[in-house]
Order: sequence, then structure tokens, then C-alpha cells
Amino acid sequence: MDFKDLNDMLFSNSSSQESYASAWDDQLLEEDLLDEAMEDELILWDPEDSPVLTPATSGQDTDSYLPSHVTETDGEEILLTSSDSTCGVRDKNWVVARVGEFLERIVDALVENSGQLSIILKTRSGITRRKTEYTDQNGLMPVPKTMEITFPGGTTQEAWKFTVLVRILELIHKCLIDDVTMTKRDIYYRHPNLFLKQSVVDRYVDDIACTLSISRSQLNVTAAAKGLVAGNFTIWRPDGTEVNGLHEKEGILIPKIQASDTLNLSSVHWILIIEKEATFHSLLSSVPWNFMSSQGVAMTAKGYPDLASRRFLRQLSDHSPHIPIFAFVDFDPDGIAIMLTYMYGSYRLAHENVTHTGLPALNLPDLRWLGVKTHHICHTSATESITERGTLADTQGLMRLTARDRKKATQMLEWDLCKEDNPQPKWRTELQAMLVLNIKAEMQILETRPGGIATWLSKQIEVQQDPALGKDGAALYPFQPSSDDGLLF
Amino acid sequence: MSKQYLTLHTIDDAHPSDIFALAPTSTQVLSASGSSSIRIYSTTDPEFPLVQTLEGAHPLGIHHLATAKESPKAASAGFEGKVKAWGSDESGEWRLEGEIVDQNKPGDVWAIALSADGQYLASSSINGKVNVWSLNKAEGFPKIREYETKGSFGLCVDLSQDGRFTASGHENGSIYVFNNDTGRLSHSLAGLVSPIRTVSFSPASKLLAAAGDARIIALYDVNSGEQVANFTGHSGWVLTLDWSATGEYLLSGSHDSKAKVWRIETRSCVATHSHGDKPLWTAKWLPRNVRSEMFALGGGNNAISFYREAAG
Repeated sequence: MDFKDLNDMLFSNSSSQESYASAWDDQLLEEDLLDEAMEDELILWDPEDSPVLTPATSGQDTDSYLPSHVTETDGEEILLTSSDSTCGVRDKNWVVARVGEFLERIVDALVENSGQLSIILKTRSGITRRKTEYTDQNGLMPVPKTMEITFPGGTTQEAWKFTVLVRILELIHKCLIDDVTMTKRDIYYRHPNLFLKQSVVDRYVDDIACTLSISRSQLNVTAAAKGLVAGNFTIWRPDGTEVNGLHEKEGILIPKIQASDTLNLSSVHWILIIEKEATFHSLLSSVPWNFMSSQGVAMTAKGYPDLASRRFLRQLSDHSPHIPIFAFVDFDPDGIAIMLTYMYGSYRLAHENVTHTGLPALNLPDLRWLGVKTHHICHTSATESITERGTLADTQGLMRLTARDRKKATQMLEWDLCKEDNPQPKWRTELQAMLVLNIKAEMQILETRPGGIATWLSKQIEVQQDPALGKDGAALYPFQPSSDDGLLF
Repeated sequence: MSKQYLTLHTIDDAHPSDIFALAPTSTQVLSASGSSSIRIYSTTDPEFPLVQTLEGAHPLGIHHLATAKESPKAASAGFEGKVKAWGSDESGEWRLEGEIVDQNKPGDVWAIALSADGQYLASSSINGKVNVWSLNKAEGFPKIREYETKGSFGLCVDLSQDGRFTASGHENGSIYVFNNDTGRLSHSLAGLVSPIRTVSFSPASKLLAAAGDARIIALYDVNSGEQVANFTGHSGWVLTLDWSATGEYLLSGSHDSKAKVWRIETRSCVATHSHGDKPLWTAKWLPRNVRSEMFALGGGNNAISFYREAAG
């Protein structure tokens, strides 16, 4: 695990960053960090400084949260889930009722001094795709692990965990009752010295959603948008405001599309997902983008996609299912894992993929892989066959796999999605080619092509959707005339 | 002066994914790919039928497969990091003989090669180490030689037919020849700077051919360590090399799907064939039988093609 990952994990506001079942060591480190942070900083965290834990809605006695009020007698176990898992609609009222009821029971238990409280949370953090035993028989969703938080706990850490959980539940309850949406970042900033770091909030929020078998947005909690989007789309809000993807030269933050908004995608012929922000900006500042932007939408979630970005894409796709969506990612194990996250979601956040009707909500299984693939790199090298001197790694932007890359690629070969009986063997093939050649390449390798990445992308998109273009007679890019449509020139 | 080779037969969909290795015996060709099984095709029947499948040999796919020239032995290396030894009986049926488990952690073994008598297996590894194992089953496949290099990924390895030498090609362009009798480095050959993806000893163990991303095939004298020839002509990375049984010809395959046949005497390319538009991972001569000289190609188009020398 390199420093960049560590950095992402610790400081990205993202949080929303869904690491797609990343390597074990990553997770282990994550756990370690979490624990370490707790232990190190708990000393610093003086209860005196801590924010007053005022239940937002109930106005209960705050002191009741302190352990001194509780004498140890018989334990009580509180299950956040309702026993009738078959219950039909988990709508907003149901969620409010569950969360409220849960808070009430905690307070009751504390007031009655009924002894040790035990809260059972379900969690999917720390589950990887690799461990297939977590997958249920249908292979649809990993079975979550359970985690027990007791109060009063044996250690300060357990007390802290309990406080964090109760505080987050309170905030969520208030959001639901007031019908406002909070970002995970907002929650963190309410009590930074309690939560210590963003990932703590992220984890508990996800675990609460997982325990209730609902999606995080049903808790009225969203990730802070981190994605950027640009292109020829318009969203009209009921209040008359308009969001237009062409207004900002640099792209706009991924907007939230509400049910009451009107979406116009009539000029959009393709949607392009770009793994990295730098490449996204490079496309937007290129000359071909002037033409391309009138016909399509480009977006980036800056690495592993957050839920907000995935939801936005899914909403565009639901609105106009005929628009093809392409992925342009690095030729390395993470690039493929990022693409798979767009397509099938994060394994650890599988509860986000459930709608009221039980249909997957955010996946984009029809996403098409535009590049970078082995043969793109191969062609690059063929054009430079004269260059016999110097290593390829130097001249063509090819890089050797690191030990971590090789480990990750090998682990990915064990994922169900990359198993040999998977109907789409291309990921497996590309991962194996990567391992055999021991090379990887970033998207920027195509910048050396005539016209740069933008020209390459527009050509690839055109080739990919050729049949569609032929059918609806959509205009082509002036610099890529095709036989179907010579009218423009 | 060129030679004519005709396509004799093509097995389409010989494997469900990229064919990484072909390994012939006198009557069969064993094939390995990104799928988990080894498939064995008969080369004595004009239809080249599938005669056996070793299911689930390596669950994550197989990157290397080798057969011994004069003994019914084979070995395979998979992406999960294991090396398996196989043997066949008179009927030509293959079965697992065992796994090399001696100390090696998953990923430690990459390329493999077998001696002609099938008694020794040489391997390269990601950390640059080159090892030789005895395939003596009773002794549990002990490691008998361990050669240290400078730590660059050993992409390819070969054992000379007489078993005396081990050669390895590395990602940093290094080529080493080790003397198995003394257990020492014989030569560190003037490399090609870019990754070496294939090395191959001539049948008489006098010459070593090496090639890779430099797209040049270099010939070295094994005894002196001198470079004696350069073959240029491939426009893609050279991924595979194989000497004909007599040592007269060298077969090469490239990432740009081209196979070439080189005549050693004249140092010239005498034939070029294209195997679809995908990487050509493996190219092997078939042992000479009653029929004329034949070779087989396998690669990213999932097919195995057989070629034979045109009569006359």
C-alpha cells in the first residue's frame, strides 16, 4: 500500500470513496489506523471538551449517557433491525420509526439502569470479494458480519464507539424528521473532536444503513459530491433554476437530481466516465472537446466512484437507457477495479444497491470498456518500432507492475467477476496479459497519439457506437468524418 | 531464399482465452491458457482432436507449460503461484505427479523449463532468483540449485538439453548463463537493455538465442559468452523462441501476432506468418516425425494453428 492510498483514506473528504474490496493489507491497515487513531487520540480527547450530547429531538437528560448512571446488572441486547425482515416497504416513515424507537430504547435502558446495553450492528466493511463464503446462495449480496457494541464497555474505546454511534443516530433522526439531507462531511464537522476523522463517520453511517437493510440516502445522508461532470445536459429545478453542463468550462460538481427535477438529455449521444481528474481536465481543455461537448457528457469521480457519482450516472441511464456509457480507465489492476465498481458497485456497500422493489439501484452493468487495453499499448509500440534504443518504459509511458499491483491483480482473478466461467472474460484476459507482460500504463500514454487523448477518445466512441450513429443519423465530429454522413463537409 | 510453410490445420477456440503456452511431445501438443485446464491435442491425427483435458489444473489460469524432449514429463505454472509436475503412460494419458512445494511462496516461481530427460526443472522468479529442482518424486522434488541475480524479474528461463546449463532472461535486459555442474554463473551476457522475454538453447547446447522488447533476436555462444549474431525484422516485442530439432532453424513469435522462421546458417528470415491480430504468445516446432517439418502457433486469438513445410 502506497502513500497515496493512505492519504486518500485519511484525508479525502470522500470517505465516500468506496474502495472496491481492496487488498487485504489495505483493509488491515485501515483497521489498524482506526484503532490506532482511537487509542492515540482518545487520550487527547477529554470528555470535558466534548460536545454536549444533546439528543436533538427528544431532549432527554444528557447525563444519562454517562456510565456512572448505570450499574451492571443483567445485560440487555438491542437489535437495530426489526425481527420481521420480510416487512414490505422500508419507506421514510419506517426508517424514522426504527431510528426513533432505537434511540428510545437506549434511553429507557439507561434510565432504568437495566445493566449492560448491547447493540448489534451489521457491517460490510472489511469484507472482500475474495471471501466467497460471505456471499449468499444467490450470489447477489455479501452476507454482512455483525459487530457488537456494549455500554458500558470494558474499555474507553468501547465507550467512545457507543457515543459515536448514538450521536450519529441522533443526527440522522433529526435529519429525517426535519426532512433535510446531510452530507457525511457535515456530520463529521459537527463533532470533529469526537469523531476524530471522517472515515469513522463514514463507517458508522454505512453500518447503520447496512443494519437496517436500506440505502444510505434513505437515512438522508449523502456523500459530499466529489465528482465532476461536463456536457450537453440540462436539469431544470422546480424553483426555476437551471443546471447546465456546459456553463462551466472546468466542469461542475456532480449535481443531485431530485424526483421533481426535469432532465434534458436530448443532445447526449454518449456518456464517458474518466478515471482521473487530470485526464478529465485535459479533455475539457482540448480543441476536440468543443465539438464533443455538444454531443455527450464526460464525468470523473476522481478514482473509485462515490455514491453520488454513481447515483447521478444511474439517473441519467434510467432517464435515457439508450445512451451508451463508456469507461476510460488506466491499464492497471486499480483501473479495472474502478470500472467494476461503476458496473457492479462496491462489495462493502452492497446495501446501497437495493431499491424498494429490490432491484439494483446504482449498477451500470452495460458500461462499455473503452480503454486502456493491451492492444492500445501494443499499437503504440508498433508505431515506434524505429526507436530501437532506450527502454519501452522510458519512451512510451509503460510502467512495470509493482508488487502491490501483481498482488491485487492476482486477487482480482479470484473474484467471481473475473472467474473463467464469467460470461465476460475480458477482465480476466486483460489482467492475465498485464501479469504476463508485467506492464501497466496510464491513460496519458495515449496522449502521444496524433491529436492526443481527446481525438483518440472521440474516435473510439465513434467506432463503438457506429451502428447507433448510422441509425439516428447523429452528427459526427468534423475531424472524424465517416462514410455515413458526408453532409457536414 | 525463402521457405514455404502451409497452414495444415487450425483448432479454433482451442481454449476459451489467450493461449500462453504450447508444449509438444512426439504425438501430442499440450496447451495452456488463461483458463484453468490443460488441453491435450493429438498431432498424429490430421484432425488434431482433443484427447485429454486436465481440468482445474490451475484455477486462476496457466502462464507457463513445458514438456521434456525425451521423456513423457510435463510441468505447468499457474497465476496462483503453484508449479505442478505431470507424467504420461504408454497410452498417452497424463496425470498429476506432484507439486513443487519446497519453500517457494506463491508468485516466487514464474517461468519454467524442463531438461530433455525430464529429471530437472528450472524456474525463474519475480525476485530474480533462478532455481533448479530435481523432479525425483521419491525425494519430494528437492531444490538442487539456487542462483542469485541482481533481483530483476526473471521473465524467462531455459535448460540446455544436456542439462549442463541454465539460462535466464530478466526484465532489466540481463541474460545469465549458469553452469549446473559447478552451480556457478558462467556468463552474464551483454544484454539488450529492455526486457528479455524469451531465451532458448540450441539442441546441441552450443548457442543461446534471446529476445524481448528490443525486437532483436540475439545469438550467443554458450561457451565463450560472445554475441555471434543479431536477427532484426520483428516490429513487435518478441515473446517466444524455439529451435528446430536439427538446430538449422529458429522460430520466433511476436506481440504483433507475427511468427518468423530464421535460417541460422545464413542468418536470414526465411518465412513470416501472421496468426490473427492478437499477441502470439507461443510458437513451437513439433518433433520431427514421418511427416515434414511442422510448427504450432498459439496466442490471443484462442486458436492453435499448425503449419508444415511445403514439399519440394
